[in-house]
Amino acid sequence: MRLPESQVAVLEAASATEQRTIEQVSEATGLKPETVTGAAFDLEDAGLIEVSERTDASTELTDEGHRYHEAELPEVSLHRAALDGAGGDDPGVDIGRAVAKSELGDRANIALSNYERSGYGTVSNGVVVPDEVDPGADEVTAALAAVADGDTPGDDLLDLLERRDLVVRQERTVRSVTLTDEGVTALMEGVEAAETVDRLTPELLTSDEWQDVEFADYNVEADAPERRGGKVHILRQTAERVKDTLVGMGFREMDGPHADSEFWINDCLFMPQDHPARTHWDQFALDVPPMGEIPADLLDRVRSAHLAGVGDDGQGYHSPWTEEVARGVDLRGHTTSLSMRYLSGHEIGDLEPPERFFSVEKVYRNDTLDPTHLLEFFQIEGWVMAENLSVRDLMGTFEEFYAQFGITDLRFKPHYNPYTEPSFELFGEHPETGDLIEIGNSGMFREEVLRPLGVECDVMAWGLALERLLMLMYGFDDIRDVHGTLCDLDLLRNTEVLH
Amino acid sequence: MPVVNVDPDELRRLTGHDEKSDEAFKEDLFALGLEFEGETEDGQLQLEFGPDRLDRLSVEGVARSLRYQYGDDRGVYVPNTNDPDWTVVVDDSVPDERPYVTGAVIRGVDLDDDALDSLIQLQEKLHATMGRKRAKGAIGIHDLTMLKGAGYGDDGGNSVTYRGVDPEGDRFVPLDADREMTPADVLESHPTGETYAPLVDEYDRYPAIYDELGLFSFPPVINGRRTEVSTDSRELFVELTGTDQWTIDRMCNVICYALDARGATVEEVTVEYPDERLVRPNFEVDEKTVAHERIEGMLGVDLDVEEAVDLFERSGLDADPEADGETVTYEVSIPPYRTDVLHPLDLIDDVGRAYGFNDLDPSYPDVSTVGGRHERSVHESAVRTSLVGLGFEDLLNFHMISEAENYDRMGIGPGTDVVGGGAPVTITEPYSEDYTMLRTWALPSLLMVLENNTHRAYPQDLAEVGLAAAADDGENTGVAERRTVAGAVARHDATYEDAKSRLAALCHDFDADLATPATTHPTFIDGRAADVVIDGETVGVIGEVHPRVLVEHDLELPVAAFEFRLDALA
Repeated sequence: MRLPESQVAVLEAASATEQRTIEQVSEATGLKPETVTGAAFDLEDAGLIEVSERTDASTELTDEGHRYHEAELPEVSLHRAALDGAGGDDPGVDIGRAVAKSELGDRANIALSNYERSGYGTVSNGVVVPDEVDPGADEVTAALAAVADGDTPGDDLLDLLERRDLVVRQERTVRSVTLTDEGVTALMEGVEAAETVDRLTPELLTSDEWQDVEFADYNVEADAPERRGGKVHILRQTAERVKDTLVGMGFREMDGPHADSEFWINDCLFMPQDHPARTHWDQFALDVPPMGEIPADLLDRVRSAHLAGVGDDGQGYHSPWTEEVARGVDLRGHTTSLSMRYLSGHEIGDLEPPERFFSVEKVYRNDTLDPTHLLEFFQIEGWVMAENLSVRDLMGTFEEFYAQFGITDLRFKPHYNPYTEPSFELFGEHPETGDLIEIGNSGMFREEVLRPLGVECDVMAWGLALERLLMLMYGFDDIRDVHGTLCDLDLLRNTEVLH
Repeated sequence: MPVVNVDPDELRRLTGHDEKSDEAFKEDLFALGLEFEGETEDGQLQLEFGPDRLDRLSVEGVARSLRYQYGDDRGVYVPNTNDPDWTVVVDDSVPDERPYVTGAVIRGVDLDDDALDSLIQLQEKLHATMGRKRAKGAIGIHDLTMLKGAGYGDDGGNSVTYRGVDPEGDRFVPLDADREMTPADVLESHPTGETYAPLVDEYDRYPAIYDELGLFSFPPVINGRRTEVSTDSRELFVELTGTDQWTIDRMCNVICYALDARGATVEEVTVEYPDERLVRPNFEVDEKTVAHERIEGMLGVDLDVEEAVDLFERSGLDADPEADGETVTYEVSIPPYRTDVLHPLDLIDDVGRAYGFNDLDPSYPDVSTVGGRHERSVHESAVRTSLVGLGFEDLLNFHMISEAENYDRMGIGPGTDVVGGGAPVTITEPYSEDYTMLRTWALPSLLMVLENNTHRAYPQDLAEVGLAAAADDGENTGVAERRTVAGAVARHDATYEDAKSRLAALCHDFDADLATPATTHPTFIDGRAADVVIDGETVGVIGEVHPRVLVEHDLELPVAAFEFRLDALA
């Protein structure tokens, strides 16, 4: 039979005829009492020994009791000094002298307060007067010795020792082991020790020793040290999810400059140069030279659309239009600048319908910073280019997209954008609260936008702030904790991974 | 977007629909594109809408749109006008910057408090939108009976004169004042004058309108007190000045239509330019041609001609169908209060609103395309994934930053030859001193995050793959944009080796050959900084951040960091 080393030791130390306490076994085996107890119970479970329990009242010396037992009680020391000092005519000794002689130090008070009670003499007026009593026959000293030996002194003396905090009385469970018949048989047949190991080591594996070892039990319920891996930023995660969704719907991703001319940002979008949005959005104008290179034919067509409109019945804006404004470089206020670049054919060549394109990229608006508005945020931009698109196609595309994020029951509020007609603000039901919330802006690009770009078919487009989608999905109420240098690392670390 | 406050009781009265509840109105208005935003303290509905239908900037206009939608009114309505009695004479002295004027006379108005409030609101909202804060067009409304016209023409007509006035020229008592002031005084010390002073204070002469008694209007700043309109006013003189005739004529039309809806009569005025005579308001009806097929195509539904005509008429338009074989087109008439119809498509949008866009069945377009990611974004994601695998917390910081954060606190200067030392792309008129330029590198952002999170558990290993930019005349935009990879290891025992081992692992992931020859960089400790050389090209810097920089960021433990160009890992 193979047993863990400790169990083998306990088994061998146990007797079939005599109860042996854990302490005795511990002493015999050199194992810690708790190890012995653990092994004993395991052996009992295996039926090899029997564990019995009894409750013992025991008395033990306190630290102070130990000191007096090993040295001497303070009052005895005092008595010896007093007997030495007294004599002749003078029956008493000055307390100071007696204390100094007995080297009691800070135990002097203990000695004095027990002196008379112990019948060694009297203390009065600063003088110790000893009776002729043998200091060697002190009964408290004898009682301490008895306790130290494991005997029990009389009740009165025990009470006295307890009052003086020289002993503590306590009850404890004493467990004893006895070999069972099976245990005896096992021993006779031979028991070998199997090693218990804490860690599985490369040596154990390569030497095959793992086959002969027992693994010590761990407390598998205990907390482990906290561990933090890295995590992709949750706004990036959300962006990735949007990108995956759109790629799955057949959209290709666009890329382009953050700093761009107003021509690509606004003029191509048929935003009149004096439109409140071009001042009120307060895009960030950059202190760099005007954009040098803008395709001349495109510039002319865009200018003409602004001033004279597009088509036989079209008319332009009654607003000034200058090339100087168009060439100014801003941080883009929307990624529709990318759509313009792609639709114009100047980014990746002329496009043939059908096409679907998207981007999830940063835009910049001079807004007031608050829990839901940042100066920089991500815009989801998407468009579909095809012959003969209707607003029903636009609605169907959005229903499909938003359903991927749990937003259903879309409603379409007719809206105005300078660059789309018809235009719609998109509303949907909040997945948690059920409230009707605004979730995007959309429309069919105007002919004044498309024709100058050289696009002859229909293009429907929409835009949405990624942060809005994030806040809907995660329920955040302050975007500043997430995006930017004021972010809270704990929030980023502890946010649930959505999938 | 414009918000108009509308009293629901007024709306019930003006539409003639007493049975409509506030809720029912909200639904009907949503379908037209007016969104209920909330209620004012006195129970008015706050309605927000796109700035296309400026004729809806008053309760009268909103009621008119609803009556059309309900089918109570149909087709184009043009108010009858009386022939002109008054003439606005435009003098040669009018400032060149603000040459245009228009106007109308309104007779028989009955202004109670609500109607007067509505008129004032309409005027203010028009200023804010079409009027471009009064720069493009400004409206003055006067009590006509307080005007004394100069005799004009042979048949006893009256006239006022639009002219220029010397800033210190004539005096008048402006609204909300109790003393005579010169135009210059008004700009200097009248609250309204101070607000609008930037519009005219560069002019040599200021715009002004005079009657026989003198200056009574100082557009676009303020009217004179003499002609102030009250609930007792029965006859009004409306004048508009601006930088574009069409714009002020349309603004004038919107006002005239609102007052007509209150039962007033519009009377024309003559505008006498030195070389041209106009009769205003201009209620001429525009026409555009719309193809039936285009309507059906855009809405995605089949319509009868009668249905289409009905929808036009319920949009306040007239439509005259003309069939040419299979093809049907409509000659559509557009009322003169519309400011938004630039193209036939704008009329199809009207038809869609009348039809009810939300009554259309969404359908997924039967168009097949192949999707895909841009290689740049795929590359960025891959690098980000590797960094996260190395234990970095992926961060996302702003691209805008301040000079202090980008340079000074990192110990470097602009225009220097170190990583991060590129010339700044600055924002022309920054609102916030925290965001005055585009960051030239990302490490300052990471240090700011460390600075703001000293109360959070360490280690803090942060990384960011993001945009950085520097001024570069060689670029078409004048801005050289690049993607940068930055990493920082902040822990009590962080050393150069911690940064180097991670950077090496990242380079290994992308089969890039890394070398780190010693360099000096003010952000890092001398002797513990190196160039990041990838595949033989110097693309960044790595090192232990200098204690001066750490202390500047209130950090109490060492930080090892690196930053290099993303395209080095391509």
